[in-house]
Amino acid sequence: MNEAVLERMRARARAVRTRAAVQRWHYRQRHLAAGVWFRLRRVLADASAAYAISEHDARQLIAEAYQPEACGREVSPEKLMLFVDEPRLAKLRQRRPIPVGLGPEFFAARAIALIAFDDGERR
Amino acid sequence: MPIYLWAVTFRDRLIGTLQVLRPVLEEPGVLIVGSEVPNLLEPDAASTLVVSQDVDIGVPVERVAAVKARLRAITGLAPSAEEPSVYVPASPDLIEVNFLGLDSRIREPGETYVFEDAELPLMVFGPLGLLRPGRIVNVAGLRVPLPRTADLMVEKLLTDRTGEKGARDLLVVAGLLAGASPEDIDEFLRVARGLSAESRHAVSSSLTVLSLMEGRHGMPDPTSARAQVRRLLSALGGHHE
Repeated sequence: MNEAVLERMRARARAVRTRAAVQRWHYRQRHLAAGVWFRLRRVLADASAAYAISEHDARQLIAEAYQPEACGREVSPEKLMLFVDEPRLAKLRQRRPIPVGLGPEFFAARAIALIAFDDGERR
Repeated sequence: MPIYLWAVTFRDRLIGTLQVLRPVLEEPGVLIVGSEVPNLLEPDAASTLVVSQDVDIGVPVERVAAVKARLRAITGLAPSAEEPSVYVPASPDLIEVNFLGLDSRIREPGETYVFEDAELPLMVFGPLGLLRPGRIVNVAGLRVPLPRTADLMVEKLLTDRTGEKGARDLLVVAGLLAGASPEDIDEFLRVARGLSAESRHAVSSSLTVLSLMEGRHGMPDPTSARAQVRRLLSALGGHHE
């Protein structure tokens, strides 16, 4: 066996182990600032639909005891993200459906109402 | 070339390659482990998913000697000079074969190593150690051994992948989820819960990425898997695990 071939394979294995170390770093960051992207994705994974709403309406919903998601306040600029039931959402005059994901419309919106999947455990 | 004709041609090449590999596939513990698995699980192994033109064969490290003996008997494929774990076809009717090591003693990406052998050196990726023999599908009269669906889903979610290949591997999970039985899902959760905390987090993280992915032509639709992914995430633990 050509030693150069084996060395290439060993280098590949080292690269995989290095990426694994990065993966462990991500795990240690899960409660820290850099872990916010996982936390955002985790919240959005619970949502079947998302709507850009006005900040005024978002604050009104919070006043009605709808709970803002903490991770929305962990990005800058902050976002108000909250799960809302569909009947309440339907009463908001300003609501615009946006894709569920970390895309441009999500980042442009300052306040976002999320609809949970039917089997969701959220309110 | 129209996709349908391409798919038929690719299916023929895939099955032709597996026919050549029949002696190897008869070795106990040898499995098809790569992204071709969903293609082989389609009705009559229709092979409509867009994947790279190779097939990954998992070889238990304790069976390497027996597999080498079987490889010496096959014709039409030969080891690549650059990468002897890859067998390249002598004819365009076949596709490349990528041999990988399976070591059931390991499962973490950080445990990846090289099985150093003069004739058949193998990359032994840690998560491949999760794969246990599952269904044997009959394709054109050939018995093709596949891993357990739950194991393959966990392995694909656990393996750190980047770029287009990584995206396609996650979409393969969407395809596996679509065909998974309730027993497969229960088993998936058991396997995932048995991982280290870091690896469980990696699985959850990959699931969140899959949940927010857009579809790609010729691949399973991730949006149709979202509700199922959400249930898996919920079952795997709290929002901030």
